[in-house]
Amino acid sequence: MKNVAPNRSNYIKLKDELKFARLGHELLDQKRNILVIELLTLVDQTVDYQSRVEAALARAYASLQEAVMVMGKLKVANLSGAVNMQAAIVLKERRVMGVRLPVVETEFTGEGPYFSPLDTSLRVEEALAAFKNALSLMGRLAELKVSLMRLAREAKKTIRKVNALEKIAIPDLKETLKWTEGRLEEAEREGFLLMKMVKSRLEKSKGGGDGAAL
Amino acid sequence: MKYFVLGDEDAVLGFELAGVSGARAATAEEAEEAFRKALLEGDTGILIITEEVADLIRHVVDRHLFSENFPLIVEIPGSRRTGQPGRDIRALVNEAIGIKL
Repeated sequence: MKNVAPNRSNYIKLKDELKFARLGHELLDQKRNILVIELLTLVDQTVDYQSRVEAALARAYASLQEAVMVMGKLKVANLSGAVNMQAAIVLKERRVMGVRLPVVETEFTGEGPYFSPLDTSLRVEEALAAFKNALSLMGRLAELKVSLMRLAREAKKTIRKVNALEKIAIPDLKETLKWTEGRLEEAEREGFLLMKMVKSRLEKSKGGGDGAAL
Repeated sequence: MKYFVLGDEDAVLGFELAGVSGARAATAEEAEEAFRKALLEGDTGILIITEEVADLIRHVVDRHLFSENFPLIVEIPGSRRTGQPGRDIRALVNEAIGIKL
C-alpha cells in the first residue's frame, strides 16, 4: 500500500490512522473475549436443556402412544379439539454486545378439566400434562438455541475483524508509515546536502574571485 | 404470541392435545409450504419443528435460524426416532459457525 505521496501531512494522517486501528483492535479484542465467555456459558446451558427436553418429549410420546392404543387415534384427535388451553409466549429482548437475544416466557391459560373422564382414558390426561411440560421447557430451549446461534455468528464476525486488523491492516499501515518516514528523512538529507553544497560553493567563489561571477 | 408445531402426525397430535396448533408434513413440498405459512402468520412466536421435517427443508430452516427475528425455531426429535441422539449442540455450532467451543 505505497500509493500515498510521502509528504509530511500524509505522514501525520497515517500515524493517526494507525492509532485508530490499534484502538479498534483493542476494542474488538475485548468484544471477542466477552462473546466467547457468553457463548461458553450458553452452550452448557443449552446442552442441559436439550437433554431435558428430549427426556420430557420421550415421556410425552410414550404416554400419547398409550392413549392412542387405549382409545384410538381418532378419539384422541377429537379430544384435542376440546382442549382450550392456550400456550402464550411472552417475548422479551436482551442485548449482549449489540446482539439482540430473545428471552422467552411461556404462560398457560385455560383451566382443566377439558373433557369428561367418562369414556376417556387416564392416559390422555397424562399425555396432556407431559406435552405441557415439554412445551414450557421448549420455550427456554428455543431462547437458548437462538441466542447461541446469533452470538456465535457475531463472534465469528468479530474474530474475522480482529484478524483482519491484526494480520493485514495494522502491519500494512506500519509498513507504509515506515516507508513514508524513510522517504521524508531521505528528502531531508538531500536538502541538507544541497544546502551544504551551495554554501561551500559560495565560500569557494568568495575566497577565489572576491565577488566574481557566482 | 403462540407456538406452532410442524412435524409428523404423532408429534402434531400430541401438541394439539396441549393446545398448540400445528401442521403435518411428510414431503419437502408440504413442509416448505407449511413453513412459509407459519412464518406469514404473524402470531407465531416459536416454531417447533421435528428433525425429520427440518431435514427435508434444511436450507430454508437454517437460513431462517440465522437471519430473521421471529419466529424462533426449535428442533425436536420426532415421535418415530429410534433412540440415537440428535445433532449435538456443540457440533451444530462448530458446523454452522466454524469456531470451536
